[in-house]
Amino acid sequence: MPAKHPQRLTRLVAAAGFVGLANGVAFAAGPTVAGANLAMLFLLSVLVSAVAYGLGPALMAALLAAVTYNFFFLEPHYTFQITHPADLLTFSVFFAVALATGWLAGRARDSQRRTAAHARATEALLDASRALARAATPDEAAQALAEQIASATGGRAVILIRDGEGLRLAGAPPGLAALSAESLAAAEFVWRGGDLIATPEATREWTFASLDGVQARVGVAGLRGLRTSDDPEVPDLTNALLEQGGVVIERAMLASAASENEALRQADQLRSGLLNSISHDFRTPLASILGSATTLADYESDLAPSVRRDLLESIQQDAQRLNQHIGALLDMSSLEGGALRPRQDWTDVRELVGSALRRLQPKLAGHRVERHFAAEAPLVRADALLLEQAILNVLDNAAIYAPAGTAIRIVVEADAQDVLVAIEDEGPGIPAAELDAVFGRFRRLESTRDGAGGLGLGLSITKGFVEAMGGTVSAVSPLSTQGGTRFVIRLPKVADAPQAAP
Amino acid sequence: MSFRPRILVIDDEVQIHRFLTPALTAAGYEPVQVMTATEGLRELALHPPDAVVLDLGLPDMDGKDALKKARAFYGGPILILSARSREAEKIAALDGGADDYLEKPFGVGELLARLRVLLRRGPEPDSPAPVVRAGDLEVDFEFGMVRRGGERVRLTPKEFKLLSVLVEGGGKVVTHRQLLTAVWGPAHVDDTHYLRVAVGQLRQKLEPEPAVPVHIVTEAGIGYRFLGD
Repeated sequence: MPAKHPQRLTRLVAAAGFVGLANGVAFAAGPTVAGANLAMLFLLSVLVSAVAYGLGPALMAALLAAVTYNFFFLEPHYTFQITHPADLLTFSVFFAVALATGWLAGRARDSQRRTAAHARATEALLDASRALARAATPDEAAQALAEQIASATGGRAVILIRDGEGLRLAGAPPGLAALSAESLAAAEFVWRGGDLIATPEATREWTFASLDGVQARVGVAGLRGLRTSDDPEVPDLTNALLEQGGVVIERAMLASAASENEALRQADQLRSGLLNSISHDFRTPLASILGSATTLADYESDLAPSVRRDLLESIQQDAQRLNQHIGALLDMSSLEGGALRPRQDWTDVRELVGSALRRLQPKLAGHRVERHFAAEAPLVRADALLLEQAILNVLDNAAIYAPAGTAIRIVVEADAQDVLVAIEDEGPGIPAAELDAVFGRFRRLESTRDGAGGLGLGLSITKGFVEAMGGTVSAVSPLSTQGGTRFVIRLPKVADAPQAAP
Repeated sequence: MSFRPRILVIDDEVQIHRFLTPALTAAGYEPVQVMTATEGLRELALHPPDAVVLDLGLPDMDGKDALKKARAFYGGPILILSARSREAEKIAALDGGADDYLEKPFGVGELLARLRVLLRRGPEPDSPAPVVRAGDLEVDFEFGMVRRGGERVRLTPKEFKLLSVLVEGGGKVVTHRQLLTAVWGPAHVDDTHYLRVAVGQLRQKLEPEPAVPVHIVTEAGIGYRFLGD
């Protein structure tokens, strides 16, 4: 035991030192200090030992003080015998008072220390809870746990968490990137076997303990050089932290598994959406093309020139619509595949609104297009093609939903943070309940005039493209009692964006 | 019978030839159809046409290589056909000697318009007319000045140089790289912001409505085109 608690031995020696000091002072003072005064001096050494080192050392000091007091200062000197009956009384009272003083003061000191340790442990646990609560992923939780154990106990900790069938180092002190093969084997052993490896610390780099969640084991923790309390009544901070950490890591693991499931579910939804759209949105124009073409082929000479013209135009329009659908599917798959790499370059947003309008000219011919471009709009970093398509999709949406003859207003301006394009239409507006979903895939309002709509991917592509370039998209509707919708594309202003050519 | 320009169409898709051949014939051209790059290059060497329509997605040769080989002995106009999504390929072809591009699928009207621009310029592209008029604009190369509605417009030397390069394109697309090289020098091919700013200023000075440019038109991600009337 002494080897394990070197501090306890030190304290006993120090308490003995105080008693020795009292003896020294008594000798130095000589016969001027005697009797009760001498006893007081010895009592003082017991009291000091009690306050400084607690109950154990105090009781030892009391015993030592009584023995040395008797040996050196009660006649006959240098024996343990007592000659005078009065001295026997003095000695007995002294011993009783010394014991009582030591016991009371030592208890008081120990209990105060314990309270302080309790408070510190509670505070450390609270700190740890806060740090762990901030972790969003299992790795963040593991790192937070390693740091909290280190700061609460003054040692070092590594956290390995479950990764497939094995373990992965997820939390470590700064500078530690990997564990030795020996440590890893020990960690694996605890992971599989479950029990704390109780081998002396000197032979191992880390002592491993299992980390358990509510449902299952989530990993193991390696500990080293921890400052432990030898007082059984002080709560074991390390264990409490490990318990809490295990639960938090498990929760983060479950959460990330849930978000993976969510991603899979969305991918599934996209696939079924694609199938629906291919069967409907692609077949409709194809049916019209095939029908018009076969009519022309079979009855060419019987058709009035105006009917022929009409059939030809319908073939042309529906082919263009199919082309647009294919473009949207390609854009969507580039977003979905994660293969989108915007070529960010200095771009004038006003210029791209202009080129989007040009591309969309035939569709917008029935609307009044109003432009309000700020004279000074700083250049932004964007991919010209993606941004043009993003703007075009919003304009296309306005052209579909807002009736002919209404105005479409386009504003380009800059505020403190962003350069923004706002596109307002005078369409029926979007019901509040659907506003959030408007950027989702395959979204279309039921009121879409039949055959005029796109795939319902346009706004979702806009959002994907703009976000890939570091911007945001938002929608506000209705703008008034008559309806109306405003879409705003924002791209961050770049500090010291070039304004003029040299 | 008047002169019918010969157009060599190199495309591996029969469907394209099926409508292009009658359309070109009806528009007064003499189309020559070939299905592979190898055949096309042979035809180009044996009977040089007045213009070439080249699909970049040929099965027997990479589009870039076909273009490079053709340019080694053919100086006439080359119009390339490419998909919208293949931006880099298009830009490389334009910088590598193609005169203009058209995205598949296209309408015949667009193709004929592009061909007219390419053929109008004739075989001597280095001697542009001393004065070019476009709407109410008048660009006088001889005296290095620009008039709008008869009034002189003050341009900086860089702006005038930029306008000249665009106008000399005669309606063809001119890529960012070509413009930056010609106006600011080869060291500045990546300084696209010079170009954005200068184009913005040119539009302010020359366009009737700068927000809806009709003369200096943007080809997003590729370059600019100067349109006359």
